[in-house]
Amino acid sequence: MEADFTKPEYFCNREDSWIRFNERVLSEARDKNIPLFERLKFLSITSSNFDEFFMIRVASLKDMVNVGYQKKDIAGMTAAEQLSLILKRVQEVVALQYSTYNRSILPALKQQGLEIIARHEDLTEAQGAYVDRYFEENVYPVLTPMAMDSSRPFPLIRNKTLNIGALISKKNEGKKEAAVEFATVQVPSVLPRIIELPVKETGKRAVILLEEVIERNIGKLFLNYKVVCAHPYRIMRNADLTIEEDEAADLLKEIQKQLKKRQWGEVIRLEAEDGMDKQLLKILKKEFHIHGNDVFHINGPLDLTFLMKMYGMDGFDHLKNKPHTPQPVPQLMDCADIFSAIRAHDILLHHPYETFDPVVQFVEQAAKDPDVLAIKQTLYRVSGNSPIIAALAQAAENGKQVSVLVELKARFDEENNIVWAKMLEKAGCHVIYGLLGLKTHSKITLVVRNEEDGIRRYVHLGTGNYNDSTAKLYTDCGLLTCAEAIGEDATAVFNMLSGYSEPRHWNRLSLAPIWLRERFEQLIARETQHALAGEPAHIIAKMNALCDKDIIEKLYEASAAGVKIELIVRGICCLKTGIPGVSENITVRSIVGNFLEHARIFYFHNNGQSEIYMGSADWMPRNLDKRVEILFPLEDEQIREEAYHILQIQLEDNVKAHILQPDGTYEKIDKRGKRLMCAQDYFCKEAAKRVAKPKDPAHDRVFVPAEPIAEE
Amino acid sequence: MAVKMFAAIDVGSYEVCMKIFEFSSRRVMKQIDSVCYRMELGKDTYNTGKISVKKIEELCAILNDFVRIMNGYKVSSYRACATSSVREARNHLLILEQVKRVTGINLEILDNSEQRFLDYKSIAFGEKNFYRIIQNGTAIVDVGSGSIQVSLFDKDKLVTTQNIRIGNLRIREKMADLVRNTLHREEMAEELINNDLASFKKMYLKDRTIKNLIVAGDYILELLKKPMVTVEEFRQMYDGIIEKQPEEIAREYGIPSESASLILPSVTIYKRLIEETGAANIWMPGLSLSDGIAYDYAQKNKFIRAEHNFEDDILAAARVIAKRYQCNKNHARNLENLALLIFDKIRKVSGLDARSRLLLQIAVILHGCGKYINLSDGAECSYSIIMATEIIGLSNRERRLIANVVKYNTFEISYGEIMGQPGLTEKEYLLILKLTAILRVANALDRSHKQKFDQVRLELKEKELLIHVDTQEDITLEKGLFPPKAEYFEEVFHIMPVIRQKKTI
Repeated sequence: MEADFTKPEYFCNREDSWIRFNERVLSEARDKNIPLFERLKFLSITSSNFDEFFMIRVASLKDMVNVGYQKKDIAGMTAAEQLSLILKRVQEVVALQYSTYNRSILPALKQQGLEIIARHEDLTEAQGAYVDRYFEENVYPVLTPMAMDSSRPFPLIRNKTLNIGALISKKNEGKKEAAVEFATVQVPSVLPRIIELPVKETGKRAVILLEEVIERNIGKLFLNYKVVCAHPYRIMRNADLTIEEDEAADLLKEIQKQLKKRQWGEVIRLEAEDGMDKQLLKILKKEFHIHGNDVFHINGPLDLTFLMKMYGMDGFDHLKNKPHTPQPVPQLMDCADIFSAIRAHDILLHHPYETFDPVVQFVEQAAKDPDVLAIKQTLYRVSGNSPIIAALAQAAENGKQVSVLVELKARFDEENNIVWAKMLEKAGCHVIYGLLGLKTHSKITLVVRNEEDGIRRYVHLGTGNYNDSTAKLYTDCGLLTCAEAIGEDATAVFNMLSGYSEPRHWNRLSLAPIWLRERFEQLIARETQHALAGEPAHIIAKMNALCDKDIIEKLYEASAAGVKIELIVRGICCLKTGIPGVSENITVRSIVGNFLEHARIFYFHNNGQSEIYMGSADWMPRNLDKRVEILFPLEDEQIREEAYHILQIQLEDNVKAHILQPDGTYEKIDKRGKRLMCAQDYFCKEAAKRVAKPKDPAHDRVFVPAEPIAEE
Repeated sequence: MAVKMFAAIDVGSYEVCMKIFEFSSRRVMKQIDSVCYRMELGKDTYNTGKISVKKIEELCAILNDFVRIMNGYKVSSYRACATSSVREARNHLLILEQVKRVTGINLEILDNSEQRFLDYKSIAFGEKNFYRIIQNGTAIVDVGSGSIQVSLFDKDKLVTTQNIRIGNLRIREKMADLVRNTLHREEMAEELINNDLASFKKMYLKDRTIKNLIVAGDYILELLKKPMVTVEEFRQMYDGIIEKQPEEIAREYGIPSESASLILPSVTIYKRLIEETGAANIWMPGLSLSDGIAYDYAQKNKFIRAEHNFEDDILAAARVIAKRYQCNKNHARNLENLALLIFDKIRKVSGLDARSRLLLQIAVILHGCGKYINLSDGAECSYSIIMATEIIGLSNRERRLIANVVKYNTFEISYGEIMGQPGLTEKEYLLILKLTAILRVANALDRSHKQKFDQVRLELKEKELLIHVDTQEDITLEKGLFPPKAEYFEEVFHIMPVIRQKKTI
């Protein structure tokens, strides 16, 4: 009988799975084996993660509930059911966040000689005087207090800003209980959140947060009033930016317009200091139309992202990881001409263990090379002052044909992207502003060079964005090649992105949204066939998120047929492991470490003729159906070995890896009696070692059997 | 030779395409880039007879982008050709003008026969089995948007080619209004095709065995997935898709969905032709007009060499036409010989090129075809037949030229009348006069159709062309009728042909 792999109970809700991911990040903040300041970073990340989660995911669920959308998700839940589950879970995690902060981080910091003074009442006299002066000189001039009464409506509170709400009453109103009024003031985002205080004892340091300083001096803002109470609060608005592309005649204009709108929108979360005055809280809840689990009572400072700034305080280097310096790429070390190096051999790049410089150099050299005719590139999230943008502009000025696809729909980055796009256009580049209805997520660069024997095409394909700053933090892979088949495909990709018809056939690349899903399904089905034929069958897939129902069903089918499936999924995973007869042969691990795991690598055993692919796509519906993504094969034997090695080391990780349990929770591996393996550390060391002895043949992982001496 | 870049632009009925080719010293032609933009110019033309301003603007925008791409590759030469959608548009000259003004591109309109000849060239060059295939009875079927072209081979020569005005876009547009009233679109498409096909079969297919069908046209390769299939395999594919919706076909076979609507009419045409010809194998080289343009360019510039002699095809096709109208074969052979001898002898002074020689040769082959219709009015009838008979590889202008030469071979020459033909260029006018002069002299030498002048030697002596003839026959008739032809020849070339008989007893 055909087994049914489509039952909702075989799937996990994606939001819930995401919350579990944030829990894993939080667990890093709680891990005492990690240097203290690194833990601050992780805690900060959990906080910014939640912000984004609310702005996008919770917001769209709210929208669904608002319009009465009844369709159920992959796990059979309606939007309303999901919302109530999520909010309950987030409340739990936030509670854990702050208990970590209060019970673990704060005492540990104090032990290390750094005190965060939580309440301004706890300041010493000298410190009090210091902050008061600081307030008068720096803070007071930029504050804009606003009050609400019968003639002034409730003011606009901006999305994600930190505010102090207060109840005030007129002085000199006689004996009678004076009527209280609401007032609010934004904690200015232009000033540093952390203020370092003078401390008498040597070797000790202390800081206080800006909102405490304002609270301490709030009376100075409402001179004729008595401040009854004052508490910080923060709101999150619905900001899911869904652009109606069919209606937007000019995408660029539409996005600029939408950006302004983003500050408005329905309030979907209120964070208020725990112990806030009841009357004040009531006013806020009423004005923001918010209640129940949408209100978070925070036991500590709101918005923990200030911890990231704290990480940057100097003097605590012994409490931080030694910064990793990306290593040079061995094949490119003694080589001034990147093109000749690529001609000699395909090159695999593994960031951030290896430097991102070759990618920048690739574009920079192309910009100057007199033989280069054209440079074409997709840009998704570009860093400020990107050297790549500068090189592209220069190339255009040097008379090269430069085509750039700038994806304007990269969430929250639009403003940034528009600036670059305009600049490139001015420099003479041919700028394409994305495709209607599709986000261009693929990362590809094509350099066309006019060489002695004709046109030769050099291609860089990557799993990560062309962003030299994130390339230091995200683990990604890239391939530099001049293989003709890939070069032809790359040309076709850019023709397609420029609005021309798709090519008659693709040589090597598989593209979403048209061909990629089918390709993945075929590759998985092929393993199933091998398994059914009694042959060994094995899939290893590494990605950021797995939540595509069809793909998961195919994986279940494969597992049921006996395919061994090892998944390395950093974030959301809607697949459940250990379901009898469905997913017993599947394991899922998530690696959360110092670097953000970002590469997508797919290994298929194919009965010994193994194939490895890399790409820009996760196994998510949006990647497979709504985006332009590229999957590329690794055809060079040695590079395939390298990629397989990357997967193997990650599978051996027992320090940062969390294993998905059948009940949906994640657990770290029991390390007792095992040799510790932290994949990220391993790759750092390996990259350094390779560069140290680049010429050592014994270092090569590929052992080549010596050829027997031929008879003359 | 340095690497040379060439761009071939094809302004088609539903697509505007450009291919960039690289010619290197290795004498190979390599496609570097290919862009296609979907734009149904044919829809305008076939429905309204004109291409709208909006579409022309769109076309210019695309061509401007092509120019940008060409510059990017440092393309040194290009050829841009438009086919039936522009050709049949009443505003075609305005279109060319606008394109030239806005994009700088010289767009030329190909006649059907020129276009098909380029398609045919792309097959002859691009299909590596071509030479082997055509050793057995072969037909090339080239399905375009506005018409289909069926070309038949005899041994290894292309002998006849017919244009049938039922293309895939034309059928789709014709069916568009009616399709709601039927469940069986394929039957309706077949009925549209059958009428034309029946006449074709009766005229051209009856005494030929066709073993191979070479199919040129879009997307058929994607449907069949390999370059050669048997009839059974084709049938299976046909049965597999005929019930499906265009979108399904597009998804299943990886065909751009916007092109899927043309698939049903196309496969129906293929199916009917396969049935009618009885071919056993179907070949799909998967080439396009742009390839043909590039091969033609490469051949003319001697970047590549052809195994196949394309002029022989044109001549063979002309001979088949002559045979159909029962022209006197011996007379024609003799005349061909004489005319070409004269042509070659005076080549230096006449200023005529190799192409003119071919035109002359065809004029000779076809000069008597009108007698089949009417013996006393042969010249006019020949003219009409040639004007109405497509000859692959010749443009319509060239065909008109030949028709004129044939007509004035026997018709009294009237400069004014020839010159008065609309659209005739000065160059063409002069060519007509020159070729007619040669043909008249050659024809006069075989007035009796007895091939008395089969042993001839020519000698150019100052202002005289001495025609030494070695024959026992009485040539009084030829000599007597010769002077007016000779005088006209002198008027054209300033050379007087003179007959010198040498009697060897």
